[in-house]
Amino acid sequence: MIRRTPLAWLNLTHDRRKLLTSLAGVAFAVLLMFLFNGFKNALYDSQVQLLQLFNADIILVNKQKYNMFVPEAFARRRLYQAQTFEGIAAAYPLYTNTANWKNPDTKLTRPVRVLAFNLQDPVLPLPAIQAQIEGLKLPDTALVDDKSRPELGTFTPGTITELSDRQVRVIGTFSLGTDFAAGNGNLVMSDQNFLRYFANLGPEEDSRTLGTVDLGLLKVAAGADPEVLVKTLTERLPKDVQVMTKAEFVQQELTYWRENTNIGFVFTLLTGMAFIVGVILVYQILYTDVADHWAEYATLKAMGYKNIFLLGVVLQEAAILSVLGFIPGCCVSVLLYSLTSNATGLLMRMTPDRAISTLILTFMMCLIAGSIAVRKVQATDPAEVFG
Amino acid sequence: MRTPLAWLNLLHERTRLTVAIAGVAFATLLIFLNLGFLGALATTASQIYSRMNAQIFLISPQSLEISTTETFPQERLYQVAGIEGVQRVMPLYVGYQQWRNPETRRNRSMFVYGINPRDPVFTLPELQQPETIAVLERPDTVLIDRFSRPEFGPQTTGLETESDRRRVEIGGQYSLGGGFAADGTLITSDQNFRRLFDPRPLDRIDLGLIQLQPGANVEAIVQAVRAKLPQDVLVLTQAEIIERERTYWIATTSIGFIFSLGVIVSFIVGTVIVYQILYTDIASHIAEYATLKAMGYRSRYLFSVVLQEAVLLAGMGYVPGLVLSIGLYTLATKATSGSLPMSMNLGRAIFVLFLTLFMCSVSGLISVRKVISADPAEVFS
Repeated sequence: MIRRTPLAWLNLTHDRRKLLTSLAGVAFAVLLMFLFNGFKNALYDSQVQLLQLFNADIILVNKQKYNMFVPEAFARRRLYQAQTFEGIAAAYPLYTNTANWKNPDTKLTRPVRVLAFNLQDPVLPLPAIQAQIEGLKLPDTALVDDKSRPELGTFTPGTITELSDRQVRVIGTFSLGTDFAAGNGNLVMSDQNFLRYFANLGPEEDSRTLGTVDLGLLKVAAGADPEVLVKTLTERLPKDVQVMTKAEFVQQELTYWRENTNIGFVFTLLTGMAFIVGVILVYQILYTDVADHWAEYATLKAMGYKNIFLLGVVLQEAAILSVLGFIPGCCVSVLLYSLTSNATGLLMRMTPDRAISTLILTFMMCLIAGSIAVRKVQATDPAEVFG
Repeated sequence: MRTPLAWLNLLHERTRLTVAIAGVAFATLLIFLNLGFLGALATTASQIYSRMNAQIFLISPQSLEISTTETFPQERLYQVAGIEGVQRVMPLYVGYQQWRNPETRRNRSMFVYGINPRDPVFTLPELQQPETIAVLERPDTVLIDRFSRPEFGPQTTGLETESDRRRVEIGGQYSLGGGFAADGTLITSDQNFRRLFDPRPLDRIDLGLIQLQPGANVEAIVQAVRAKLPQDVLVLTQAEIIERERTYWIATTSIGFIFSLGVIVSFIVGTVIVYQILYTDIASHIAEYATLKAMGYRSRYLFSVVLQEAVLLAGMGYVPGLVLSIGLYTLATKATSGSLPMSMNLGRAIFVLFLTLFMCSVSGLISVRKVISADPAEVFS
C-alpha cells in the first residue's frame, strides 16, 4: 500500500514563518495554563512541604489543632503513653513557636517560625540539618532556612542578630521554603535553646515549657500497620489529642486551605480563561490555514473526498500543533517556575502528572478550535469556490 | 475623504475580525482579572482603616500590618491630646483569640478589637447606641461581627461560649468585615480585653487613633505630632496607613509577585494574538500593499495603515473585554460570598486601555516590517 500524503503536516510546514508564529501562540497558551495552575499548586504544596518532611508515620496533635496555624499544644505525657503501645518504635516531640527575627541588615523585625526538637531525635531528616547537629548544641544558636523571604536579610554562618529580643548566632542554613503559617521563614534550634528564648517571655505572652508539645511524631516498628495503630491509639489515648497517619495529617492541612481560602477559585478561573484564550488562538491559526487553502480543500471535495477526511486533516493539524506547541510552552514554564520559586520561596513544582494534565488540556483546546474551524471546510461547495 | 483602508482591511473578512476581537478581548480580560484579584486583596487588607473614626494614626514602626503589631506606650496618645486641633485620642488593642464554636466545639482564630466603649473608634452608628455601650461595659461580654465566617458558629445574643478558655457571652452584633488577616472579628471593651488577653497590660497599645476637630488642617497637625513624639511611633494620616498596609501585602508577600507575573504573561499572549492577526492580514494583502507602493505610496503610509488596524483592534477588543470583566468581577465577588470584593475603577480601566493600545501597537510594529520590505518587483515577478 502506498503511504498517504501527510496532508496535515505539509499544510502546517508549508509556510515556515507562519508555523513558527502558530507554535509561539500555542506555546504561550500552554505557558498561561501552566503558570496559573502552577501558582495554585505551589500555594497548596508549600503548606505541606514541612509536614511531608517529618520523619514520622503517625502524628499526634492537640484535638483543636486542625491546621498548622492553631497554636494549641498538648501534654508531653501523651507521647510517653503512645510510646508504650506495641508497634510504636519511637516518639519525638516537636516544638514550634512564632518569634520576631531582627533583619541583620535593616534592623527591622519579621515574624518567623521556630522549629525545635531534641537533637537526639531524627525529626527532620535533611542532610543540612543532620550535619550541623553539633553546632546546634551550643547555646543561642540556630539554623536559618535559606529559602526564607528576602525580608529576613542576609545571613551567613557566624551572623549574630536577635530572635525574640535575645541574641542568636546563625551557624548555618538549610532549605525548606515558606508557607502561610511560617510567614517569612523557618528557624531550627535545639529544645534547650527553645527554652532559652521562650520560657520567660515577659508579661505580654504566654511562656513555653517542654511539657507541652506542638506536634508529636511517632515512628512505627517494622511490620506494624500504621492504620491499625492509629485506630488503637485513638481509642485508648485521652480525647484531648487526635491521632492521624502522616498522610491524613497532610490531607487535613490541604483540606483546610482548599476550603478556607479563595486560592482554588482564583486560579481555576484564571486557568479557565487561559484555556479560552488558547482556543481562540488556535482557532485563529487553523481558520487562516483553512481560508488560505480554501480552493485546495474544495478541489479535494470535488475529487470525491468525504467531509470526514477533511475533518481528519484539520484535527490532525490541531493535534500536531498541540504537541509541537506544548514542548516549548513546557520548557518556558519550567524557567518561569524556577524564577517564581526564587523570588517568592514558594514551592513551584513541575511533576509528570501535572505536565500530562496540561498536555491533555492543550490537546482539548486544539481539538475544540479544530472542530470549530473545520465547519468552514465542510460547508465548502466546490461549485461555489470555482464558480 | 481618504479611503479608510485600515478599517476596510479589517472588515473585509468578518469571521476573522470576530475572532481577532475575541482574542484581544480575552487577553484584556486576563489582564483585568489579574489586576482585579490584586486590587481585591489590597482592598480587603486596608478597608479596616477607612472604617475607623480617625484622621491620624499612631503605630509602632515595628508593626507590619494590623494583625502583626508591636505595642507602644499609651503615653504617646496623651502627649498628642493637648495639641491644638486634636479633638479626641483613642487607644485600640488588637489580638487573636481561639474562639470556640458553641455548636461544634471547634476552636478557630478570632481577631479581637479592644476599645474604650465610650470612644467612637469605628464609624458604625450601631456601636454608639447607649444600650450597646452598656452591653460593652459588662464583664466578659463581646460583640461579634455579622460577617464572621459561619465556622465560628451562631451569633445569637446571650449565647455563651469560650474564648481562649475564658467564658464569654455574646452581647450583640455589628457589621464590619474581617479584612485580610482575619475571617472573624470581635469587639470588646478594654477592660474585657485585659481579662481575655491576661497578662497583657493596657498601658501598651497597638494603634493610637487621633480624631481632629472639624476643619482642622490635617497636614499641619501631623507635623506638630511628629515634632512632639519620639521616634518609637510612626505618625500617619489615614491615606498613609492604608498605603503602608497595601504595600505590605502586595510587595512583601507572594501575592503581588504572582499577579504581576500574571499581568505580564497575559500581555505577551495578547501581543502574540494581535501579531498573528496582523501578520495574516498583511500576508494575504501583500500584493495590494505592493501595488500601493508601486503607485508611489510611502512606507510611512503603509506603516500608518497597519498601526491604525492595530489601534482599531485594540479599541474593538477592549470594549467587550471590559464588559466581560465587569461581569466576571461581579460573579467572582458573589462566588466568594464577598470575601474577594472585586470592583472596577476608572484608574484600572484606563490603565488597561493603555496597556491594550500598547500591546496592539507593539504587534503592529513587529508585523509591519513585512510591508515595509515589500518590493513590488518581487511580488509581481
